[in-house]
Order: sequence, then C-alpha cells, then structure tokens
Amino acid sequence: MDQDQKIVLTRRVVLISGTFSAVVALLLILNFWHMKHNEPLESKTIEALVERLASEPDNEELKEEIRSFDLLARKAYFTSQWQVKSGTWLLLIGGIVLAVSLKIYTDLRSRIEEPEKVTEDLLRARANSQYWLMMAGGLILGLSLVAGFLTNDYLEAYQEMGVATESEQQEGDVEMIELFTGQPDTTGDAGLEVSETKNSEVVSETGTGQAPVEESLATATEIRFNREDFKKNQATFRGYMGQGVSYHKNIPENWNGSTGEGIKWKVASSRPGYSSPVIWGDKLFISGGDTQARVVACYNRHNGQLLWEKEVSGIQGSPAAPPRVTDDTGLAAPTMSVDGNRVYAIFATGDVVAFDMNGKQVWGRNLGVPNNHYGHSSSLQVWDNKVIVQYDTNSSGRMLALNTSTGETIWDVERPVHISWASPVLIDVEGKIQVVTTADPYVSGHDLETGAEIWKVEAMMGEVGASVAYGNGLVFATNEYARLVAMEPKAGAEFTWEDDEYLAEASSPVAYNGLLYTATSYGVLVCYDALTGEKKFEKEFNNGFYSSPMIADGKLYIVDMRGVTHILKADASGTIIAEPEMGEGGYAVPAFADGLIYLRGESNLYCIGK
Amino acid sequence: MIKWIPRIVLILILLTLLTGSFLHAQQRFPKPEFDTGYVQPDPSTPEPRAMAMEYFDVLVLLVVLSLASWLAIKKRSRRGLLWLSVFSLIYFGFYRDGCICSVGAIQNVALSIFDPGYAISITALLFFVLPLLFALFFGRVFCASACPLGAIQDLLVIHPISIPSWIRKTLGFIPLIYLALSVLFAATGSDFIICRYDPFIGIFRMDGPFLMIFLGMTFLFLGMFYARPYCRIFCPYGVLLGWMSKFSKWHMSITPSECIKCKLCEDSCPFDAIEVPIEQSYRDPEVSRKNLRRFIFYIAMIPLLTLAGGWTGAKSNVFLSRVHPDVYLAELMISNPELREDEENLDIQAFLEAGLTFEQLIEKAAVIREKFRKGGMAMGGFIGLALGITLMNQVVFRRREDYKPHKGDCFSCGRCMDYCPVGKIVNSA
Repeated sequence: MDQDQKIVLTRRVVLISGTFSAVVALLLILNFWHMKHNEPLESKTIEALVERLASEPDNEELKEEIRSFDLLARKAYFTSQWQVKSGTWLLLIGGIVLAVSLKIYTDLRSRIEEPEKVTEDLLRARANSQYWLMMAGGLILGLSLVAGFLTNDYLEAYQEMGVATESEQQEGDVEMIELFTGQPDTTGDAGLEVSETKNSEVVSETGTGQAPVEESLATATEIRFNREDFKKNQATFRGYMGQGVSYHKNIPENWNGSTGEGIKWKVASSRPGYSSPVIWGDKLFISGGDTQARVVACYNRHNGQLLWEKEVSGIQGSPAAPPRVTDDTGLAAPTMSVDGNRVYAIFATGDVVAFDMNGKQVWGRNLGVPNNHYGHSSSLQVWDNKVIVQYDTNSSGRMLALNTSTGETIWDVERPVHISWASPVLIDVEGKIQVVTTADPYVSGHDLETGAEIWKVEAMMGEVGASVAYGNGLVFATNEYARLVAMEPKAGAEFTWEDDEYLAEASSPVAYNGLLYTATSYGVLVCYDALTGEKKFEKEFNNGFYSSPMIADGKLYIVDMRGVTHILKADASGTIIAEPEMGEGGYAVPAFADGLIYLRGESNLYCIGK
Repeated sequence: MIKWIPRIVLILILLTLLTGSFLHAQQRFPKPEFDTGYVQPDPSTPEPRAMAMEYFDVLVLLVVLSLASWLAIKKRSRRGLLWLSVFSLIYFGFYRDGCICSVGAIQNVALSIFDPGYAISITALLFFVLPLLFALFFGRVFCASACPLGAIQDLLVIHPISIPSWIRKTLGFIPLIYLALSVLFAATGSDFIICRYDPFIGIFRMDGPFLMIFLGMTFLFLGMFYARPYCRIFCPYGVLLGWMSKFSKWHMSITPSECIKCKLCEDSCPFDAIEVPIEQSYRDPEVSRKNLRRFIFYIAMIPLLTLAGGWTGAKSNVFLSRVHPDVYLAELMISNPELREDEENLDIQAFLEAGLTFEQLIEKAAVIREKFRKGGMAMGGFIGLALGITLMNQVVFRRREDYKPHKGDCFSCGRCMDYCPVGKIVNSA
C-alpha cells in the first residue's frame, strides 16, 4: 500500500468513525432531552388515575392499572439509562477510533517543512515577558487587595459585637416635637428622676455581694416589686397583667390628629414599629427597628421630649443582618415591658435587651433568631423579678423567664405547640400567678415561678395571633379560622362555651364586668356574655382591627387600621361615645395615664389630653 | 475543505461526550409509593483497595518511570514513549479512575505536614516523591509517559500552534499560583482543589458533575491546537517537576551526538520547549550592561515583591478562608440567621446533628481564619518571590550554541528526536 492509498484509507476511517460518532452523539442528545423533559412518574395518566383512586380507595382494578403504568414508566426510565450508558461507550470507542485515525491521517499528510529563516527576537521577547509578568503580577496583587478589602468579614463583625460597647446615639436628629398646648410644660428631666419613684418603695442595694456586676453598675437603687405600681403604670402590652384593662380615669374622648384638636403633643418616631407604648412614671417608651438598627426610645410623657434613644447593639449571638420579616409585622412588633428599674425589649432578631431608666444597657442576650415567617411579635410580660418570653417558632414551642436584673434564664420550658404570635397574659388563680399562652393547638397555663405547665386545653389551630382574655374566672381564646372559646384555667377543662361566627386575627379580646369584647380584622366588634357566650351586640365598622380593645374609665377604646379610635360604653348596650381620628394608620394598643391617652400611629406618637 | 471535516466531527464528538457523561449525574429514581413486597437491600460500603494492590500501583509507576527514562535517554524512542503513555492512560487513568495520582498527592503531603492528625499513606507519599526523584536525574519522564492527565492530552495534539514566548512566560506563572493555593487549601484542611477541579477525572470515570466534564472537554479541545494546555497552564505538580528537572544530569537530548544546527527540530516541539542557540549579539557589552542594571534592579525588587505578596496574601484571608466548610457555614449562619432554622439546608442540618453549638463553630472558624492569615501570608510571599525570580531570569542570557530542550519545560516526549538527522544516522549506524 503506497502513501496515497494509506491517506485515502485513513480518510475513509476518519469519515466513517466521525459519522458513526456523530450519529451516536445525536441520539444521546435526543435521549438526554427526552429524559430531561419527561419525568416518568409525573405522567398525566398516572396522576389522573391516582386522583381517581382517592375517591375509589377500594378499587383493586384501578390499583392494578396504576401499578402497570408505574412499572411501564420505570422500565422506560431504566431503558433510557441503559441507552445512555451504551451510547456513551459507543461514543467513546468511536471517539478513540476517530482520534487515532485522524492522528495517522495528519501524520501521513505531514511534510518536513523548511526551517524558518527569521527566528524570534530574543531580546524583544524577554522585554515583553518582563512587561507582561509585571502587569500580571500587579493585577493579581491589586485584585487580591481589592477583594481583601471589599470582602465583608462577617466573622470578625460577629466577634466584635460580643465585646463592643454600646454605641452612642445622636439625639438631635430624631427629635421633632410638635406641642399643641399654649402653656409651657415645666416638667423637666430633673423632675423625672424624682417622679419616677414617688409612688414606689425605694430599697437601697447595699452591696451584699450577690447582686450581679451589671446590676450594681447600672443602678444604685432598686424599686421593689409592687402590684399597685403596675396598675398605676401601663407597663406592659395591654396594661396590667396583659389583660386589657386600665385603671386610669378622665380619659379623653375627642381629638383630631390632623388638626391638632385635643392633641397635647406629637412626635415623629425615628424607626418604624408596631409595638405599643408603655409607661412608667413620667417616662414613656417605644421600640422601633428596621434593617439598619433596632432602637428603644424614652420620652418625657408630659411634653414629648426625647430623653434618650439607644440602639440595641453588642449582643453576643445577635445576627449581623436581621432576618427577613413581612412588612405587616416588621422587626419591632413586640411591645416592651417596664418595671421602674429597667425597660425590657425584644426584637425579631431574637435579641432581648434591658436598659435602665436612664438608657444604659444593663444586659442583652440573643435567644436564637426565631424561625418565624412573618416576624416575631409576641410581647414581653414582666412580673416581680421575671421577664416572660413566649418564644413559639416554626422550630419549637418554648417559653422562658429571664432574670430582670441579669437576663439569666430562670426557667426555659419546651412546649408541644406550633408557632404563635400571641403574647403571654398573667392571671391570678387563687393567689397564684399563672402565665397563660395560646398557640396551635393548646391554650395553657404555666406556673410563673417554675414555668411548669399547670393545665392545657386543645382549642386552637392555625396561625394564632390573638392573646387570651381573662375574666369571671374564665380564659377566653380565639383565632381566625378556629373558634372563640371560654374555659376554666384547669387541667382537662371542657369549653364553657364556644362560638365560631366572629373570630379575631390579631386583635386580642378583653373581658370586663361579665362581658367579653372581641374585634375582627374585617371590622366587626362583638360583645358576648362572658359566662354564657350569648351575643350582646355586634358593631360593624368601616375598617378592620389589628389593635386590641382596652377598657379604661368605664369605656372601651379600640383603634382601627385607619387610626380611628372607636369609643364605646363598656357595657352590653354597644353605645358609641365618640370616634376621633388620629389622621394616620393605627395598629398599636393605646396607653393610658390619668387624663391622657398615648397613641402610636404609623409615623408619629401622640399624646392626647390636656 | 474536506480536510477540516474530520476535525469538525471530532469537536462534535468531544462536545457530545460531555453530554453523555453528564447524563450519568441523574438523580436516583424514586421508590414506588405502594408496597411491592420488594425488600430493599442493606447499603454496603465498598472495601478499600487492598494494600497489596496499592503497592502494585507503586510498582507499576516505578516500572513506567524507569522504562520512560530508558526510552527517552538511552533508546531514544518516541514510539516507545507514546505506547507507554497509552498504557499509563489506560492503567492510571481509566482502570485506576485517575486516583491515586502524583499531581493530587501534593495535597496529601501538604496536609500531612501541617496537620499532625493526618497520616499520609506510604503509597501517596511514593507517588509524590518518585516522579520528582526521576525528574531530578532524568528530566520530566513522568510527564512523558506516566501521567494519565498528560497522556490524554498528548494523544489529541492534532495541529499544535506556537505562541510567542512572552505569552508562555506569563501563562507559565499560573501554575505557581495554583500550586500555592492548593497547598494553602490542603494545609488548612479546607479542600483538595486539585482533585475537585481535575478536568479529566470525569472522563476517566465516565461520570462526574457537569463542570468537571465540561472543563475536561474544553481542555481536550483546546489541546488540539495548544498542546497539553492543562500541563502548561495549570499543573501545579509540573512546577515541582520543572524545578527538579532543571538540575537533571541525564536529560533527554535532541541529538545523540553533536548538533549540526540544521534547524529541522526547531518547530518540532508542540510545547515550545526547545531553546535556540543564543546569538552573540545578546552578549555584546552594551546589552550586557543594560541587562546587568536590570538584574540588580530585580534582585533589589525580590524582597519588596515578597513582602508585598505576603501582605496581600494575609489581607486575602477573609475570602480565601471561605473555601473551608466551617468558615463558610459560620459566615452563612451569621449573615443569614434565618437559615439556622432552615430544615432544608443540608449543611446546617448536618452541623446541627453533629452536636456542636454555634459558638463552638464560630471558635473553630476563627482558628481556621487565623491559619489562613498566616498561610495566606506565606502563599503571597512565595508568589512574590517567584515573580521576582522569574523577572530576574528574564535578563539572564546563558551561553548556548546548540538546540537543546528546556530542561524545566520539556516533557521528554521525544518528538524532537525524530526530527534530528544526526539521530537517524546514528540509529542506522
């Protein structure tokens, strides 16, 4: 065989092996697309048959038919796999033959070429090499440096948070007070220090050695726990024990936030939040937060002057970036609690923090970022030396009591419940305080001292947002798409009564004078006989309710989503007294003091009264 | 036109091989939803390769290296080297699935040096050392016939083109960086990147992730025109072999006797590894003075480049350390705290099941980050030093009167020997 014949032969081998390989490759590609776009078990026929089986569960013939189709689909799948494997091997063999023949073919056709007369200029080539090496080296160094400086060091930031001291907040840029009274308010900061403690027994901490360091640094004096103080101050979500009843008198009935009528002062909130204001003495506190910062602000409640606003920082375990929350919950939905010594706040980041009355951060800890698809909203309750945290998340049901002085855990109990957005409520049963919570599926009572469950009743389902009410020895729990129930706070209790006509989504019911009031997110306020469940009245309003009703001065106050406060007689008549407007949306619960109401709107905080 | 048809077909084949291999990465078929009575077998873990067989692999390597040395230096047989490389491709590549491999053994050695808890196997150590020893005496005979990665590329060199030396020099800096990174990642226990991004493992195993197969096919396709691209642009082991080979006493030569400067071999090397004679003009006093000044400048620059590289490497510790799974996980959980409760995140679930607390993870990550800071400094310093030395070498012109293979770059494949007329005469005699 001469050279030309060899070339012809190898060329034919190249063409044949190339064509063979191309055909195999094409078939493989077709098979690939077929497999990619046809999930065997997602056959419409099988799906239809399975659907039919749901209505005919005993149809054996149908089951056999499904099995036949299923088997067919599996056979088809495994046949495709076999085709892929076989095809890959054929392709490999074809590729090897092609490569070898192509190599021989090119070698046969190759000729010894005449050497080039001009070779590369070595000097120029070396100079180019130096230039490009320096460029490449510089580029690598530069890019590495830029990347090094631009990379966000989460680890370091996280570690620094653990040792960072509190950041000082500029106060001037958040204060914007609008005074509506002509008379100057003479209450100043100095007076506040006195008035804070004027109703309380002051006990000096003499340094027994048992008080935590943080405590001794934070305050020199402690107010001893006194129930009456909690009646005098709306210190927690929905007031005294979280039950929705205020003990203050001379509450205003008429105002207009847009015109300033009846408004004592108004101040813009520095950060958004759905939390409600809480009060102790002459100080009013609100929390707010966005992705930049979570803050606690303290105002002189007489003139709206911002006394301090502190960013929550330096908490070990706090996430560098806040979790994703929905706009209708936000990062600062839980209402704070205050006990005259410290104010306690919790945020959707899982940070729980305590500031003293002068804004010094006393302690802070992170409970683990709550796995909550809307955002954590359960408010804190404070009683004696405990801050109660209901921490029911998608991951687990949990409730904790933290030491008010140190933040250390007093008790931490697991609960067999799903996520809940409701807040704990305190009730006094035969002289013993219980913490009552509601979640899917249990409404339960826990011993305040130990956290131990005293009773539970399976009553709720779904996403529970409304907290319980308590009155006439009964606990009332409600949730949208579930039911409204009344039960005694004891183990194995039956429902005293139940109703499923008007169910609250977020607004918590309130019990008062033998009546139960509950408000729905579609704007209906309903009153029941607390003992029998007999409906006394239902009032439909133009706007829905997320805020909860409060009883004050013998009247019921409830703010709708448009910021209209509906004031009714707190009896079974359903008589509307007034419907003053705030001028902006309202979701928070009003805070009361003698002769005054504090309302938090979407953007502003209002003091109503004279 | 007709001469291009086979090449086009070959390209098509290579691309579709990619598809074929990719298909093996399909997910397992789901179980039936109804009871079939079929009993699932208990999963079993394949036994590791018997120790005797591992030693047999070492023996095969030793034999191949010895044969390659004899074929390249004594026998001067290109054909012999070619068939030996085919054997290595089949044995070390397709039969042994590309593992164990001398290239990847760099990482085992690095990890064993920096992690006292890691004991390197004797076979891995021998796979690392033997080719280097042979390179020290006989040049890069490992690349010629023992490396399956090199063999698969070498067999597909169809129409190699020559590229200017400044591009080669610049590209030749990449393997240094790759070597430094792979040692850093291995030494910190982060990852074996040489294995993870080995472009040919997927082909040897006829299976693998999409990226791996794609990389392999890309290299093979590129290699038809730019011969053995992985070896020349990326192979970190090639850096070490090149260093050793530069000192080799019995390196393969183009001619078995005196070079007659016929220039026939000048374009024979598809890897541009033949050094041409240095003309006298490069050694004249004016050029020499200029080069001397540059030489002194680069000498002075070496410490500065080393320091700059070290500082930059230390500064790069944050993003480099994210390769380590613990650092990655810690930062993920810090930056996306909601994921801590995500039951679908396998990384986080695996961490939670391991029983470590988040704070412990943070501590571990901080320790690793510190290792990266120090390691990054060493790595950067090494790269800066290597850059300085490479620059310095660019102004050194050594006397050379014959056509000779570049001892550092030459793969000892023997192609050039076939072009030498003196060799033909000697062989026929």
